[in-house]
Amino acid sequence: MTTIALPGFFGGIQQGRIAHTRFWTYIGFLSGAAALAYFGDSGYDEDAFLLRFLSMQGVIWGGAGALLGLGLSFIMSKSGQRSSSFAENTVPWFDGLLLMTLLMALFTLLEPHAALISYEDQSNLISGRIVMAMNLLFLFSAVCYIMYLFAPESFIGKMATMAAWGGVYAGGTSLLLRWYESYLFLDGDIGHAPVSNLYEVFILLFCITSSIYLAFERRYQAKALGAFVMVLVSAGIFFGIWLDSIGQADIKPLVPALQSYWMKIHVPLNFVGYGAFAVACAAGMAWLFRERLERKGSAAMLKIFPSLDQLDQLAYKSVAIGFPAFTLATILGAAWAAEAWGGYWSWDPKETWALIVWLFYGAYLHVRISHGWSGKTLAVWAVVGFLVTVFCFVGVNMYLSGLHSYGRLA
Amino acid sequence: MPQLYKSIKPFFLRFASMPLAIVLLMVLAIASMIGTVLLQNQEQADYLTQFGPVWYWVFRGLGLFDMYHAWWFIGLLGFLMTSLSFCLWHNVPRMLKEMRSRKVMLTGHSWKRMQHTHEITLPGSKVEEVAGKVEKLTGWQWLTYQEEGFTYLRGDRGRYHKWGYILVHSALLVVLVGGWMSVQFGFRGNMAVPEGGMESRISYVKGTGTESLNMPFEVRCNSFEISFFPTGAPKEFRSNLTIIDQGEEVLTSDIIVNEPLYYKGVRIYQASFGDGGSKVGLKLFRLDGSKRIDIAKGEVYKTYTDAESGISMEITDFKPFNVENMAAPGQPKKFQDIGPAVDFILRGPGLKPVKVRSFMNPFIVNGQNQGSLMMVSMSGDNRDFQSFYLGPDLTNPEEWELFHAFGKKASKAADGDGIEAFKAAISEVYGDKAPDDFQDLGIRTLQGMEALTNIPWPFVPLLDDYDQVYYTGLQLARDPGMNVVWSGSALLVIGLCIMLYVSHRKIWLVIEAREKGVRIRVAGLANRNPIAFDREFNDLLRELNDNLGLSHQGESA
Ligand code: HEM
Repeated sequence: MTTIALPGFFGGIQQGRIAHTRFWTYIGFLSGAAALAYFGDSGYDEDAFLLRFLSMQGVIWGGAGALLGLGLSFIMSKSGQRSSSFAENTVPWFDGLLLMTLLMALFTLLEPHAALISYEDQSNLISGRIVMAMNLLFLFSAVCYIMYLFAPESFIGKMATMAAWGGVYAGGTSLLLRWYESYLFLDGDIGHAPVSNLYEVFILLFCITSSIYLAFERRYQAKALGAFVMVLVSAGIFFGIWLDSIGQADIKPLVPALQSYWMKIHVPLNFVGYGAFAVACAAGMAWLFRERLERKGSAAMLKIFPSLDQLDQLAYKSVAIGFPAFTLATILGAAWAAEAWGGYWSWDPKETWALIVWLFYGAYLHVRISHGWSGKTLAVWAVVGFLVTVFCFVGVNMYLSGLHSYGRLA
Repeated sequence: MPQLYKSIKPFFLRFASMPLAIVLLMVLAIASMIGTVLLQNQEQADYLTQFGPVWYWVFRGLGLFDMYHAWWFIGLLGFLMTSLSFCLWHNVPRMLKEMRSRKVMLTGHSWKRMQHTHEITLPGSKVEEVAGKVEKLTGWQWLTYQEEGFTYLRGDRGRYHKWGYILVHSALLVVLVGGWMSVQFGFRGNMAVPEGGMESRISYVKGTGTESLNMPFEVRCNSFEISFFPTGAPKEFRSNLTIIDQGEEVLTSDIIVNEPLYYKGVRIYQASFGDGGSKVGLKLFRLDGSKRIDIAKGEVYKTYTDAESGISMEITDFKPFNVENMAAPGQPKKFQDIGPAVDFILRGPGLKPVKVRSFMNPFIVNGQNQGSLMMVSMSGDNRDFQSFYLGPDLTNPEEWELFHAFGKKASKAADGDGIEAFKAAISEVYGDKAPDDFQDLGIRTLQGMEALTNIPWPFVPLLDDYDQVYYTGLQLARDPGMNVVWSGSALLVIGLCIMLYVSHRKIWLVIEAREKGVRIRVAGLANRNPIAFDREFNDLLRELNDNLGLSHQGESA
């Protein structure tokens, strides 16, 4: 696989000194925020923490942290530690989050008058409209990626990528905005992070899946994979629209068991795992598709398709991202369970399915390095693994009962 | 000993083999699915009706109703532990040796295996000088060796890569051992403590039955409170508990969900709540025309029997709030608290037993009084409750009067002359001052003629007052294996990151003197992530060039 050097301005600011400085500024800001949680006026307050962030206090603590980080980066650059690939790899993600937060701040200005917003009727909230935009962008992107397979030379490929990025930003912004909006009615009593129901985590899943793929696309020449990833995302989009139509999109108060900071850590991390497994599945599908193509022969399409070996590598890379994230998320889930239910493991259906998923991908990693198993087995394994994953995060809620029943559908 | 080893070696290798690991992981995954489809630890009678006697005994024999504790499932986990141990035993010494032994010299044959090779010629330099400069390059662990005019250098990065394997697989053993300790030496059970009451026993499900265990202390519940969101959804459950150890109050604290209490190695969690025997007073409105209203004093979980009619009310539950969505289907939701209600099962001679939910307040929608309300479930199931509007607002004694007055007048009046009768009844009860909601009053009274006269019981029981008592449902657990599990988990994650993200990268340099200077041959190899290594190798070459002060020569392959 070839690595593409990032050209131009955007490439420039993602590298070397600038990336390094920015990286430490971000780290400083996050430390400031953490310090606010620990040492701030009333410490970490479950319900109002986001609002406090947006207040003067948040600005002071976060800003002080950022300044310290900035200073640190200069001190460190004197001692020669100027470029690190870790900083270069992480900075774009921080940039993206920052941009989403700014977009969210912008949209809060457009929220309708308080009198038009109520818990009973949430249709006036802006986030719903941004989710619609996200849906359209992702669907459009999927169509473009498929067309790209047939017309690789045209500008359609560029449009596909841009629409996908647009979708990621729309999705991320809408989620952050939902967080803000959850404070807008009932005196801010029910405000909570937007990772509390299936509808919200689906949006999160689209964004994570797409951005993992887009990071791959930017690094490796693997654009043909986009068609497969975006088709998966589109399937999810239709599910999300259905959830909305049955009233699952409303912001609702959290049941007491979910009122914990663990939720904000456990759920997103879990979805890093799910998203990565989705990309692995897409790579597996692409592998199987290309194998067919090689037998049936369509030279034009083959030319833009990554080789079987590359696709296999991409699937592995995704699992290598997803597996540790999922492992950690499951462990943190166990820690939460220990705190909320009195035991770290109860063989609750959701837990058990998480274990099943984990065992499945653990086996995948072993299959990879054991002799005599070919690429086809691995590709099929990645696809089936994702089916198991989907059952774990949708099927369990729909068909099985248990302690995780907050995700239950009406 | 060697003889013995030889004879068990084949077994040993089989246990440590990769295909076995894969099969084990998949078998565990598939076995775990069973317990999520088949509900675990339910009532045996339910299983019996669900599966019929044959399958019931088959499933029970296989332990499928508590399968995560069945001998075969535990056996599978034991199998996994054995396999992990053998595979560590088999691989660790080899890996440690591999990490330690670093071959510096490269033979012609190994050059072919290299991912990268590169050649540099430096005019007018000395071998020692070059080697010294190379050794100064940071980030690599260097090793040198000289032989027959050649100087060999070897640099390593990520030499600890194999520790990833060791950490991950031994961490799994640690986690499994921790889990075993939790089961073996820990406990977990529930207790229900009414407000003001005390308890020291927990009960838990084991196999097909329930067992109980005495705690070394007593727990008193001083109070239990629920707060609600404006939507009626519960916001917080809070118990104020006092721990009493050998007659002494040692600790008083609040607990809420997600914030347990810790005492003597036992964690106390807020798990559930319910009615702890609230005292309720009901008004019995006699329907024999006597206008009599009797008071019935009852208590949740007890049965009140009306001596006069022989009707009994088994009081099952009391709730101070009953928030319902009052909007028609499809309309925006509109939540309203209809106030306190008591549930009881009403039985009596010649009556079909029914479940009744009786409210204390009249039902008021948009400021309009719809009269007193009851809900009745013919099946006894809470989901089958149907609203039953009684007509008059019975909390208002005048309406109870009016209902009777109207009944008397209407029976005397000619057919269809209800209005006249109602007016007469009003003036009898209220005198000249007719109430403002005259019209609504009329509707309620008329509905009462319909509803109250059709009731099959000789009285209408309505909730009148209450003194609420909750019980708090606590879960108590001790888990000596927990910290072992956490340690194993930490090792697991660290090990995984090392295993999946760190690759062992090796660089070899062979420096030899030539007529006009020195020739340097560079080779590199990484055991994973070749793409990142491409970049790293090129970076190294650039650094070499910078440090040795020469222009790029030779070619990369
Ligand atoms: C739940 C159980 C297990 C998990 C999560 C697990 C995890 C892993 C992972 C992540 C790898 C690295 C794969 C890679 O390099 O891409 C690995 C490698 C390996 N595992 Fe496991 N493993 C498990 C059980 C076992 C068992 C039971 C055995 C032995 C019977 C085993 C033997 C091996 C071996 C031999 C390697 C190759 C190490 C190497 O040469 O780098 N594993 N395992």
